[in-house]
Amino acid sequence: MSEHDTPAVKIADDPAFKLPTSLSSLSMPLCIGGVAVLLIGWACGSSVSAKFGMSAYLTAFMFCLTIVLGSLFFVMIQHLVRAGWSVVVRRIAELYMVMVIPLGVLFLPVLATLLFGNGTLYNWDDPTYAEKNFLPLAIWTEKLRWLNQGWFTVRAIFYFAIWSALAIWYFRQSVEQDETGEKAVSDRMQYWSGPAIMAFCGATSFAAFDWVMSLAPMWFSTMFGVYVFAGSVLAAHCTICITSFTLQRLGALRDEVTVEHYHDLGKFIFGFVFFWSYIAFSQYMLIWYGNIPEETHWIFERQLGAWGWIGIVLILFHWALPFLGTMSRHVRRNAPLITFWAVYLLIMHYVDLYWVIMPEAGSSMGGILGVISSLFCVVGMTAVMIGLVLRVADQTKIAAVRDPRLQESLAFENI
Amino acid sequence: MSENNEKKVHGIVAEYTSVDSLLNACRRVRDAGYKKTDAFAPFAVHGIEKALGIKPTVLPWIVFGCGAVGAIVGLTMQIWMNSIDYPYIISGKPMISLPAFIPVAYELTILFAAFGAFFGMWALNGLPRFSNPIFTDPRFDRVTDDRFFLYIDAKDEQFDEAGVRQLFGDTGTEYIQTVVDDDSSSKVPKGFFIAWAAVIGLSVIPVLVVLKMRLTKSSLPRFHVFFDMDFSPAKDAQQTTTLFADGRAMRPDVAGTVARGDMLIDMDYMTGIDMEALTQVDARRAERLVRSFADPSPQQEGEQPPVADTEETSAPAEKTAEETGVQEEATGETESAAPAAAPSVMDTTPWLTQNPLPLNKQLLERGQTYFGIYCSVCHGLNGGGNGLVNRRAQKILATNWIPPSKLNQPTLAQDVYPDGKLFNTISNGIRKMPGYAAQITTRDRWAIVAYVRALQQSQNASINEVPAAEREAILKQQAEVKKQLEEQAAAEAAQANAEPGDN
Repeated sequence: MSEHDTPAVKIADDPAFKLPTSLSSLSMPLCIGGVAVLLIGWACGSSVSAKFGMSAYLTAFMFCLTIVLGSLFFVMIQHLVRAGWSVVVRRIAELYMVMVIPLGVLFLPVLATLLFGNGTLYNWDDPTYAEKNFLPLAIWTEKLRWLNQGWFTVRAIFYFAIWSALAIWYFRQSVEQDETGEKAVSDRMQYWSGPAIMAFCGATSFAAFDWVMSLAPMWFSTMFGVYVFAGSVLAAHCTICITSFTLQRLGALRDEVTVEHYHDLGKFIFGFVFFWSYIAFSQYMLIWYGNIPEETHWIFERQLGAWGWIGIVLILFHWALPFLGTMSRHVRRNAPLITFWAVYLLIMHYVDLYWVIMPEAGSSMGGILGVISSLFCVVGMTAVMIGLVLRVADQTKIAAVRDPRLQESLAFENI
Repeated sequence: MSENNEKKVHGIVAEYTSVDSLLNACRRVRDAGYKKTDAFAPFAVHGIEKALGIKPTVLPWIVFGCGAVGAIVGLTMQIWMNSIDYPYIISGKPMISLPAFIPVAYELTILFAAFGAFFGMWALNGLPRFSNPIFTDPRFDRVTDDRFFLYIDAKDEQFDEAGVRQLFGDTGTEYIQTVVDDDSSSKVPKGFFIAWAAVIGLSVIPVLVVLKMRLTKSSLPRFHVFFDMDFSPAKDAQQTTTLFADGRAMRPDVAGTVARGDMLIDMDYMTGIDMEALTQVDARRAERLVRSFADPSPQQEGEQPPVADTEETSAPAEKTAEETGVQEEATGETESAAPAAAPSVMDTTPWLTQNPLPLNKQLLERGQTYFGIYCSVCHGLNGGGNGLVNRRAQKILATNWIPPSKLNQPTLAQDVYPDGKLFNTISNGIRKMPGYAAQITTRDRWAIVAYVRALQQSQNASINEVPAAEREAILKQQAEVKKQLEEQAAAEAAQANAEPGDN
């Protein structure tokens, strides 16, 4: 039916579906080195100020969490729409999505800082905050009904419970199918994907409000959850693209992931670059137009000094450049090129989170030490995450080898 | 087949029963070097462009170009409309405010890109095309159902009927047909024209109705399409409304808020009075003054303690005026003739002697502008007291008219008439002159004070006070004006001389 021959479905034990040994041996060093780098980064930040160190940690945490949640969303949406094309890359997303469990552990420092840090990270936990900032008490007491240690902790557990339950269930089902190849498993995953996505979106949106937006307790934007989600889905597609490219370079999935799959990943990257910009602009424009001080101050603080330049960098290099760069199908059908854009966009995604979170840690970027701290934190945290992904990947297949739609995915072609 | 030979040959079409056989045939035709070919299938076939050797389309570039044009049109249209052709401030934003323009530019980008894609596709495919000779073969109808066709156009350089038939035959098809001119009638059905004429005729009716209404006279009242726009329900000052429980159309400030520009920051600055000194001279009045600024609502009057001040009891009419500041007694200039037994409140008030704003060119220019707008109509552009209103009043011999002061007269000089007093006069008025506090902002009133001082100085200045560098220009200008005036006078004299001669 097509111009070139599609590869036949290989047997499940084919080495193409096994994590290359060069990668599996990296798992331990990445985890240990990652933790060390993360600690150094946090220590550097804490020497600037305790708040700065924890903010750098939170930025790195959110970077990893958004990738993981985006992957979870990717898996669920593929099932929801019964997508055929994505079967060969879906397991990569599944490997990332189960990282929500280790990230739950990595969230403990943030929670501990809240419970014992006396407002070190979250201003609203500082009992003198309202008084120091002349906040209207009537509003503040209402805010504290939502933003208080106990309820915040309960909610955090709730979010992780939802995400973990979804991630573990989808992962187990998919791995089970590796053995049985039952079509019923696919049907089951599709059947639950609708409610699963609704639960996921609620938890993700409120987690963004709780963990990021509440850094500025008086500021509010109902769009904020969608804003974080938009960056998250973009980051997930980039991560899938980079991971499959790396695996192919090292010999795995060579015949399975074709230029057609990169083309589709590229389309989604292109789409979500614009979706992120659309959401970011919508949030900005409404605040700009309304011009109400309690809303504008968040953006105003991010226009002062170097933060303003980072904002312009985001407009030019998180939207304009990648928008034009990934527009052409020739770029998207060129695996190395679209992988370059994926790496580039992951960096920009970090810059985006940095611009959202770090201004709350103080008006300066903490000098050289602050920059080192931010870099080390994100590199360390990402290394830990990748180390654990490799560990899980080593114990399973790196593609859904008996998915009933694998043949369709292999034969997939864009017109 | 042979009876069609006398008709013009457009090409040859072959029928296939499966996608694979069609794709194989496409490859063979492509490899044989045919360029003007086309394949027909009931559904989109992957890889058929490649099999047929079709070059990638330029449509993406057309779409991109149209999208870019849409963005530019959207932005320039809004900048032109909103900032140049009809400058209109919306929401207090700058005339050219990009964030507000982006949604429209974004929508136009999409619209233009979509048009580019749609009509670009038409253009590239040679559409609209109402008929194709390939349709003459009834067998071709199955292309929308379960058959696949491959067509080679006669315009192809390599076309040769026998060769093409040979090639098609090799591809394993059983049905090969020469496509010839469509000999069915090309006449457009009459009903089409009738319907067309009817649509045009009907669409003219609304235009004619509007034209008739525009061009003819009628004794009926005007027809209001948007009644509530022609008769806006907006309220005027002091009107009542049923919308609010208290029936007031003018809404008081919300409790705990301060309207823009009403923020009480600096009493000295707001009143022109040295409040600290006033507190020592007359604490009660200072207190009252502060209270009147803090809460100008009228019910405060009742709460006021009885006034012990003899002067105020003797002039009760003045009381309300004092609440919003200080007003000079209505006697005005004639007062100087009256015995100065009891000093006027105006004299005992410790006025600010200095303009609280830093003097610079910008402030003076601001003062000049506002003097020109508000003061010059009576006081004249040079402050000589001979503005247009005064001249008109003199001309009609208005009985009630009190001529405006000459601002350069010695009684208004800075040492006898301090800046603060002048500010107070501008704010609250004097004699016939109304107060301008409601119209001119505090800052601009101080700017006018500064400008009036400059005016006074200029009217009594010698050329030596001008900086040496600018003297020459001023002298030159002076000579020009003098010459002009002389010429004018001469012309008037000549006219005056001529007129009696005419009589």
